[in-house]
Amino acid sequence: MVIVKLLKLQTRYIPLLATASVFAILYSIGLASFSHFGSLRVFVNLLGDNAFLGIAAIGATFVILSGGIDLSVGSVIACTSILMATLLEKGWVPATVISMALLFGICFGAAMGCLIHCFALPAFLVTLAGMFFARGLGFIIHPQALGINHPFFLNTIGDNLAIRLPHGVEFPFTASCFVVALLVAMAIAHMTVFGRNVYAVGGNEQAAKLMGVRIGSAKLMIYTLAGFFSALAGVVFTFYMQSGNPASCVGLELDAIAAVVIGGTLLSGGVGYLAGTFLGILVLGLIQTLITFHGDLNTWWTKIVIGMLVLVFILLQNLVTTMTKKGIAQ
Amino acid sequence: MKKKLVMLGLLAGVAALSMLLTACGQDETTKKKLVVGFSQIGAESAWRTANTTSIKDEAEKRGMALKFSDAQQKQENQIKAIRSFIAQGVDVIAFSPVVETGWEPVLKEAKRAKIPVILSDRSVEVSDPSLYVTFIGSDFVEEGRRAGQWLAETTGGKAQIAELVGTPGAAPAIDRKKGFEEVIAEYPEMQIIKSQSGDFTRAKGKEVMEAFLKSPEGNTITALYAHNDDMALGAIQAIEEAGKKPGKDIVIVSIDGVRGAFEAMVAGKLNCTVECNPLIGPQLFDVIENITDGKEVAKRVVSEEGVYDQTQAAKALPKRKY
Amino acid sequence: MIGNMEKQNTIFKDNLFTRLFWPLMALGLLLVFNLICTQGFFHIEVRDGHFYGTLLDILNHGSKVMVLAIGMTLVIATKGVDLSVGAVMAVAGAVAALLVGQVEHGWIFCDGFTLGGLVPLLNAHQLSWFLPVIAALLVSLVAGFWNALLVAGFRIQPIVATLVLMVAGRGIAQLITDGQIITFTNTGLVYLGNGYFLRVPVSVWIAMGVFTVVAILVRKTALGLFIESVGNNETASFYAGIHSKTIKGLTYVICGLCAGVAGLIASSNIKCADSNNAGLYLELDAILAVVIGGTSLNGGRFFLAGSIAGAILIQTLTTTMYARDVSPHVAAVPKALVIIMVCLMQSETFRNRAAGIFKRSRKRAWSL
Repeated sequence: MVIVKLLKLQTRYIPLLATASVFAILYSIGLASFSHFGSLRVFVNLLGDNAFLGIAAIGATFVILSGGIDLSVGSVIACTSILMATLLEKGWVPATVISMALLFGICFGAAMGCLIHCFALPAFLVTLAGMFFARGLGFIIHPQALGINHPFFLNTIGDNLAIRLPHGVEFPFTASCFVVALLVAMAIAHMTVFGRNVYAVGGNEQAAKLMGVRIGSAKLMIYTLAGFFSALAGVVFTFYMQSGNPASCVGLELDAIAAVVIGGTLLSGGVGYLAGTFLGILVLGLIQTLITFHGDLNTWWTKIVIGMLVLVFILLQNLVTTMTKKGIAQ
Repeated sequence: MKKKLVMLGLLAGVAALSMLLTACGQDETTKKKLVVGFSQIGAESAWRTANTTSIKDEAEKRGMALKFSDAQQKQENQIKAIRSFIAQGVDVIAFSPVVETGWEPVLKEAKRAKIPVILSDRSVEVSDPSLYVTFIGSDFVEEGRRAGQWLAETTGGKAQIAELVGTPGAAPAIDRKKGFEEVIAEYPEMQIIKSQSGDFTRAKGKEVMEAFLKSPEGNTITALYAHNDDMALGAIQAIEEAGKKPGKDIVIVSIDGVRGAFEAMVAGKLNCTVECNPLIGPQLFDVIENITDGKEVAKRVVSEEGVYDQTQAAKALPKRKY
Repeated sequence: MIGNMEKQNTIFKDNLFTRLFWPLMALGLLLVFNLICTQGFFHIEVRDGHFYGTLLDILNHGSKVMVLAIGMTLVIATKGVDLSVGAVMAVAGAVAALLVGQVEHGWIFCDGFTLGGLVPLLNAHQLSWFLPVIAALLVSLVAGFWNALLVAGFRIQPIVATLVLMVAGRGIAQLITDGQIITFTNTGLVYLGNGYFLRVPVSVWIAMGVFTVVAILVRKTALGLFIESVGNNETASFYAGIHSKTIKGLTYVICGLCAGVAGLIASSNIKCADSNNAGLYLELDAILAVVIGGTSLNGGRFFLAGSIAGAILIQTLTTTMYARDVSPHVAAVPKALVIIMVCLMQSETFRNRAAGIFKRSRKRAWSL
C-alpha cells in the first residue's frame, strides 16, 4: 500500500486508519444520500447524543485493554442516575450529589476489582453479577423514573454551560465532558506508569508479573477506574436526560464493547487505542443517524440493518488490517 | 480462499448499504411534501404494531412524507431520533414517550428550532406545558376506572382481586393501577390481595399467575385485573392448567381490546376488556394538518374508546382491526 | 516417585463431584430456606393426571434454560460465547407458529403415522406439527452455521460475532411474524410445552433427552475430548492433528440447535410466537448456569451435569422470588449475591483463604 508507505505509518496504527477510513466512507454515503446530512448540527449531535456511551466506553477500553471485560456499565449508569435524582428530590446540593454518584462508582468498581483479583473469579461473572446488583439496587432506591427540577440542572447545565456555535447550534455540556474525559483518559493511558501497566497486564499477565508489575494493584485500579468512568457516564446521562430512570441503559454494555472492538482494540487485551474507541462511538452514532435519516425502516429492518452494518464494519476492518499488513511486509 | 470470501462479503455488504441509502435519497428531490418525524417506542406488542401501521397508512393516504424511527424501547434512542429530526429540518415532530420524565432538554431544543411537537399515546412530565402542542391518546386512568367500575358492578362489590401490573415505571401501568384503585376504594369488600408485574407480556403473565395460584391466598382469588390483554391471555392458560375455569371461577377484566381478547370472550374465558385504541393515525394527522394550516388545536385530544363484555363480543369480533 | 504421584492426584481432584458440589449446595440451601419460610413450596399433588406444584413449575420453566445451557456449555468450553441464543429461540418459535397455521389450512400435506404411541398423533391434522418443528430446527441449524462461519471461518471474536445475530436475529423473527403475536392451537405443537408424559411435563423430558443425546455424543465419542483440547489450547490441538476450526464451528451449530429446541418449548408453552419477548435475556441465564455448573469461561473442561444444576438453581431463585412477592426487578439483587457466593465457593483461592483463617484461629485456640 503506497499511501501507507508514504506516510511512514507504523503498523500498529493501521486498525485506527481502517476504522477512520470506513467512517469516512459511511459519512460520504450519508452526505450523498440525504440533504442536511452535512450540517454542523448532525456532527454535534454525534458527540452530544453519544457522550454518556462514549464515557462508558472509555472505562470499558481500559478494562478490555487489560484483558478483562465489564458488563456492569449500563446498570451502574442507571443506578447512578436514579440515585442522583432521588437525592436531588430530597433537597441535597448538586455538588454533593455528583460527588456521591462518583464515589458510588469508585466503590462499586473497587469491590468488583477486589473480587476479580483477590479470589481469582472470572471478570465476566463478577461484572455480570455486578450488573444484576446495580440494576436491582436502582429499583430499590426508586422503582420508577424520576424527573429533576433543580435549577442547576435545568439552567446551568442545559443552557449556560453550552457553547454557542454558528447556525443556532449549541455544543452541549455533555459533549464537552466527553471530550475532556477522552483527553484525560488518553493522557492516563499513554503518559503514566499506570497506563503502561494496563497494556502490560493485557498483553501478557505472566510476563508483566515477572517484570515486576504489581498485577494486584493494577487490576484493582483498572476496575476502580472503570467504575469511576461508569459513574461519570451516569452523571453525564443525568445531565442529558434531566431525570433518573432505573430501567434505562439496558444492554448499553454491549454497545460499549462493540464501540471498543470497532475501534480496533482486541478483546484479548494489550492492543488498542482510546482514539479507536472514540472513532468506534462515532461509527455507532453514524449508523443510527443514517437509519433515522432514511426514515423508512420499521423496527425489524432497523435491527437487521444495524446487525449487518456492524458485521460489514468488522469484516472491512479485518480486511484492511490484513491487506495493509501484507503490503507493509512486502 | 478465505480472503476472497471476505472480499465478496464486503462488496455485497457495501453494495447493499449504498443501494439501501441511495434508494431513499431519491425522495428528497420530489415536490415539497410536508415532512413529519415520528419516534415510536418499538414493536413490543401487537398493539404497538397496529399503532405503527395506522400512522404509516394515514401518512401515505394524506401524501405526507413520514420519517419513522423505532427506539427499541429505549428513551436514549428516542431523544437521539428527535434531535436527528431537528437536524433534518422536519416540519412536525410527533412521538410516543416511553417514560414520562427526561424530555425537557430535547423539547426545549425543538422549541428553539420552532418545530411543533405532538405527543401520541402517552404524555410527558415537563415544567413548561408550551413545550408540546397537544397530546393525543387514551386516558389510562379512565381505562383503569372503567375496569374497576365494570368489576364492581359484575361482582356486586365483593371480590378478592389478583392484579397483573404492567412494566414498572410505564405510564399505562401507573395510571391504570391508579384509576382502578380509585374506584374500588369505594367498595370495602373489594380488595387487591396479590399484585405483581407481568411486564405486559403473555409469558410473564402466565408465570406470575401460576405463582399466584400456588400461593397460600391462591384459592381465595375470585377476580383478576390485568393491565393488558396479553397478560390476561397468559393468565387464562395458567388458570386452566391449575384446573380452574377462567371466566367462571375467576372473573377476568383486562385492557386493550385486541382481537385475541375478543376471541377469548367468545370462548367464555375472558369476561371484559376495556378498549385502548391504537389506531390514532387519523386523529394524529388531522391535528398535524390543523397545526400547519395555523388553526387552533385542543391541548388534549382523547381517543374514543368503549368497554366490551361477553355479550357484545361475538357481534364486535369481525369488526376488530387489531 | 510415590510423592510425585500423590501430588498428581491432588491436581486431578478437580472433577465433576467437586465442581458440582457448590451449586448443589446452594440449591439445597435455597430449598431449605423455602421449606422454612415459603408456605406450600414443596406441596405436590396430582391434578388432571399430572403432578402439580411449585417444584414442577421450576422444572417446567427451567427446561428452556437447561436446554440452552447444554449447548452453551460446549461453546464456552471452546473459549467462546454465544449471545444469540435468545434471538434464535424467537426465530424458531416464529417459524414453527407461522408454518403450523399454513399446514393446518391444508397448504402442505402430510401422511399420518404413529411414533410408537409416545406422542398422541395419528391423522394428518394432528401430524401437521411435524413439518413446522423440523423447519424450526432447520432454521436454528442455519443460525448455528452462521455463527460458526463468523467465529471459526472469519475468526471474528465470539462476543461480537454472536452479537450480530443477537441483534439481527430478533429483527428476523419480527420480520417473519410481521410484528404480530401468532397464536396456534395445534395439539401436537402445544403438547411440547404444555403436555405431560408419565405425569411429568413434556418439556422436562425434552430437556433430559437433549442432555442424554449431547452427553452420549461428547462422552462416548472423541468429540468431548476434542472440544476440551481446543478450548484449552487451540494451537497445540491444531498441531496435534485436531481440526480445531471444525470443532469450534460444530459447537456453535449444536448451540444453535439447542436454541431452536428451547424456542419451540417457549412458544409452545404460551401457545403463541411472541417474537419481541421470546428468549429475551435468556442468554445471560444460560451463561450463568454454565459457569455456576463449573465450566470455566477460559475453556477446557466442561461439565454438562453442572450446567443442568446451574439452570435449576437459577430457576429456583426466580420462582422463589415470585412465590415471595418480590418484584422481578428487585429480585436481581439476591440473584447477584447468590452468583457471587457460588463462584466464591468454587474458587480455590477463596476456599484456601477461608480455610486459612479457620486453621489460624484453631491454632490459636490450641496454643491457649
